[in-house]
Amino acid sequence: MIATETFKPLVLAQAKARKIEPKLIVVKHPVGGLNAEELRERIETATQGLLEATKK
Amino acid sequence: MLIVNPTFGLAAAAGPTVALKPINWATDAIALMSNSKPNARELLEGVKAKLGAFRNVDNIEFHAKNSASQAAPKELIQAVAGKYRAALLALGD
Amino acid sequence: MTDIAEQEVIDIGDMDVETFNEFATQQGWSDGMPLFVPTEAKVAKFVETVRGDNRPYSPVPPRQIVPTIQAMAANAVMAGCKPEYFPVVTAAMRSVLEPDFNLHGTLATTHSCAPMVMISGPIRKELNVNCSSNCFGQGWQANATIGRALGLMLLNIAGAKPGEMDRSTQGNPAKFTFCFGENEEENPWTPYHVQRGFKPTDNVVTVMSGEGPHNLNDHGSTTGDGLLTTFAGGMATPGANTVYGKGPSFIIIGPEHAATLKRDGFTIETIREELWQRSRIHISRVSKGNLDTYASTGHEPEGDYLRIGRSPQDLHITVAGGPGKHSAFIPSFGGTMVACTRIQ
Repeated sequence: MIATETFKPLVLAQAKARKIEPKLIVVKHPVGGLNAEELRERIETATQGLLEATKK
Repeated sequence: MLIVNPTFGLAAAAGPTVALKPINWATDAIALMSNSKPNARELLEGVKAKLGAFRNVDNIEFHAKNSASQAAPKELIQAVAGKYRAALLALGD
Repeated sequence: MTDIAEQEVIDIGDMDVETFNEFATQQGWSDGMPLFVPTEAKVAKFVETVRGDNRPYSPVPPRQIVPTIQAMAANAVMAGCKPEYFPVVTAAMRSVLEPDFNLHGTLATTHSCAPMVMISGPIRKELNVNCSSNCFGQGWQANATIGRALGLMLLNIAGAKPGEMDRSTQGNPAKFTFCFGENEEENPWTPYHVQRGFKPTDNVVTVMSGEGPHNLNDHGSTTGDGLLTTFAGGMATPGANTVYGKGPSFIIIGPEHAATLKRDGFTIETIREELWQRSRIHISRVSKGNLDTYASTGHEPEGDYLRIGRSPQDLHITVAGGPGKHSAFIPSFGGTMVACTRIQ
């Protein structure tokens, strides 16, 4: 799950309520309202996070 | 002094436990699930494009809720669960 | 929030009201205003008022726990309710638990929505609910505390803690309380709960997750047609969720405006149809970025206009307030419903 850092507490609280442990990739907030140049950094972070989380 | 706890509640009945099968992130089909907020699709498609350097991306497919403000319909969740071994969700704003 | 939710009754030792309020704030139980102490004895008086109503409650999202009557009563006590208000409070809770109300979405959203609570039927008089001048405002215990009790239940039972599960960007003063009564006595048409199929003698709570009231000021119009032009202009707001959420809205007509509309032959149905037609938003008032976003989730303009709902039936109309030339538009969260529950 890719979440912005601002929404991380919401994800964790919801996960706790459902008794699950989310596999979380956190990117900077926000995502909405960014232009393509600004969004590139979020994509890079998310991709690296995914590769890290799945290489095991 | 005895007070009644205003946060008290009873645990809801637990749903069925699902056994997860192992996932091969290098080859298995992946669902990209958008929360339908602006740029969520662009973010997920960007990740897909970058994954192209490491794996085949023809079986990485995009899905979205039909409303950012409402939960994904059960049919969509069931369809994704039936077709894919992994899903990458975008959550945020 | 400290996790002491496993115990329904807690021994907090000897505490005065001020110390209890410090304790409650530390626990995350407070909306920021002083609370009454939910002693077992006070809670028991509230529970007594709903004895016999054994219908189960659904799990409350986002926290996904099933509320107990005692815990709900504790929140009503803390809010400052009288025991006789409690059946209204529990009916409001049942309303927000309707699946299509989308409680989870309305609590976790960045939108400013708050649960608007409207009370209909004879109970308005029995509980001294303000339906007239300043009905959305301060000064009446029933209005102030019934709305507050629902807010506290959503904080403490649902878990909608601001900044954590409640992600509202700016919030809304209506999150403290937003409760009023229909002015059935000055409604020249049909009371809202009767429009929804209830009997005039039924007591009903209606809840919608909405913004605060947007005032519709019209002192100059001398015809119903003129008033509807003003109303529609105020409703055609590109910044409301209803532009793309396509959910319900309320139009709360002040009694003087209602009298003019009635005099000129308008009915609830013709007002709804006129407002539906006239409240369209021209695409020149909407940014390209927003239009593209709306289109990507299936909300295309009709020709050069966006609608503020899915159909005329998304416009809910009733009368409240006192003397004066003002009405109100209350747009909703969007992905929600207007839920009505008969008070037992």
